[in-house]
Amino acid sequence: MLSPNPRSTASIAGHPLHVMLVPIPVVCFIATLITDIVYSQTAKMLWSDMSAWLLVVGVLVSFLAAAAGLVDFFGDRRIRELRAAWIHALGNVTVVMLSIFNMLIHTRDAYTSVVPTGLILSAIVVLLLLVTGWNGWSMVYRHRVGVLPSREEVP
Amino acid sequence: MMSARSGAWGVAVMLLLTGCGPKPIDPRRQVGPEPYLPPIHQYLLPPMHVAKIVGWNGATPTAAAGLKVQAFATGLAGPRSVYVLPNGDVLVVESGGPPPPSPSRPKDIVMNWVEKMSHSHAKPGQRILLFRDTNGDGLPDDKTVFIDHLKSPFGVVLVGSDLYVANTDAVVRYPYTTGETRITAAGTKLCDLPGGPIDHHWTKSLTASPDGTKLYAGVGSNSNITENGLQAELGRASVWEIDRATGSHREYATGLRNPNGLQFEPQTQRLWVVVNERDELGPDLVPDYLTSVKDGGFYGWPYSYYGQHTDPRVKPERPDLVSQAIVPDYALSSHVAPLGLVFYTGTNLPAHYRGGAFVGEHGSWNRTTLNGYKVVYVPFQNGHPVGAAEDVVTGFLVDGDKARGRPVGLAMDSQGGLLIADDAGNSVWRVSAASP
Repeated sequence: MLSPNPRSTASIAGHPLHVMLVPIPVVCFIATLITDIVYSQTAKMLWSDMSAWLLVVGVLVSFLAAAAGLVDFFGDRRIRELRAAWIHALGNVTVVMLSIFNMLIHTRDAYTSVVPTGLILSAIVVLLLLVTGWNGWSMVYRHRVGVLPSREEVP
Repeated sequence: MMSARSGAWGVAVMLLLTGCGPKPIDPRRQVGPEPYLPPIHQYLLPPMHVAKIVGWNGATPTAAAGLKVQAFATGLAGPRSVYVLPNGDVLVVESGGPPPPSPSRPKDIVMNWVEKMSHSHAKPGQRILLFRDTNGDGLPDDKTVFIDHLKSPFGVVLVGSDLYVANTDAVVRYPYTTGETRITAAGTKLCDLPGGPIDHHWTKSLTASPDGTKLYAGVGSNSNITENGLQAELGRASVWEIDRATGSHREYATGLRNPNGLQFEPQTQRLWVVVNERDELGPDLVPDYLTSVKDGGFYGWPYSYYGQHTDPRVKPERPDLVSQAIVPDYALSSHVAPLGLVFYTGTNLPAHYRGGAFVGEHGSWNRTTLNGYKVVYVPFQNGHPVGAAEDVVTGFLVDGDKARGRPVGLAMDSQGGLLIADDAGNSVWRVSAASP
């Protein structure tokens, strides 16, 4: 019996894994922008150290989130037919690539670990996350990706 | 489409990581009073290339023509400095750094691991050994534990009957009588030195003024380039002048990132030092150097290097200090890590080596082509270095990128032999004339 909604392949008991994991890197990368801005204004190493930890945790968990997302993407043709899914997937792959790059920039010592390259990368990543996040929400709330059919919808 | 795109990204990232480092220049261009300074290159992944320690297994270092090298002592536990007492007894300081502090960022975890790779696996001692030559062949016949249970000791100096040891966190005084082979008396603290909890550059070199009234201690910076915060650098990257009578101190000279091998030049009686300069600005920045130290002088760290070359990694900037930064006297080339210095006043070695300075270069980690890992000779005339440095003792590297040992502290023994502490090779080597 085929659900009328695009199905999440990487899920546990109908709970898609991708949406459980993805908030962690999203929050880490947004927080990185904040701590980078504070560092750029104060030059207090506490803040750039915080950025470095946030980036490492964000990047590591983003690998897991990306794996779950890609399994969903390739697991159901109806997801791949969605324009929002393509924007979400390509955008987030770019986010991960830029964040790896940013993580390496943040291994530099002192001021140039953040200013200017690190700070610019952190800002670009947050802007991209707004686009990919918007499209991710479209996938779930408009196209019902991974949503179980309601009682009336079950044939 | 998807995989093609991410594949292209992957290739681009790999190229950025590996393909953009500048080619190392010939290190000889950076030896002497006016080193070539290339533009700054900041890495994505700094090269971390330390020679794997393989030990000597019976082999010995190679000496320049007219010289020979013998094993003075082997099977030691991290010998880092040597000091010769007036009666000819040789003190060998076995030492290791304090444990690393808890990591303040992920990079610290990687750096601690690299640091472990670059040192011998044997647990270093925290003590001073005494070696005595009883038959006059220049090699020791007796060995005793001279002072035990020290705290990351490095510098030693004797003034009269006062023996001073520079632990990483304090200068301690011990009573010494000529001929003694073991000191059991508890030391008396003369002066605290900046120690933990970070204690990044922990080796505290020590010497005494020619008149014996003052001690001079080298206190290295607490970071590569202020990444542990400026507040962690209080009293660091400087040479301290300590009053022997009162233990009070002042910063004699500042801006010296990691000063070691403090020695007074015998002809002019001026203080000289070898300095480890900053990392991660490229394979050929910044040259380490040998310099005389002026009272009140500022030598750049952290704000600038080699005079007025500003380091972009340091904020807030201090143009007022940079404008006063003194250009060091003599560059030794980049990342060689000089830790030992001795002016040769003996007569055993060929005349060529008299009056100049030997420098022990521990060897690089922050460049893909290894540099240092040898002892060089810098000729001096009228108290100033002249001409190119010469390799005197080599053979610490084997098969291109493995190390049998790494030279650290140097001293001249009572017969005029040159002693070399080799911490990774757990040995002390003695260099003397090939034919007497």
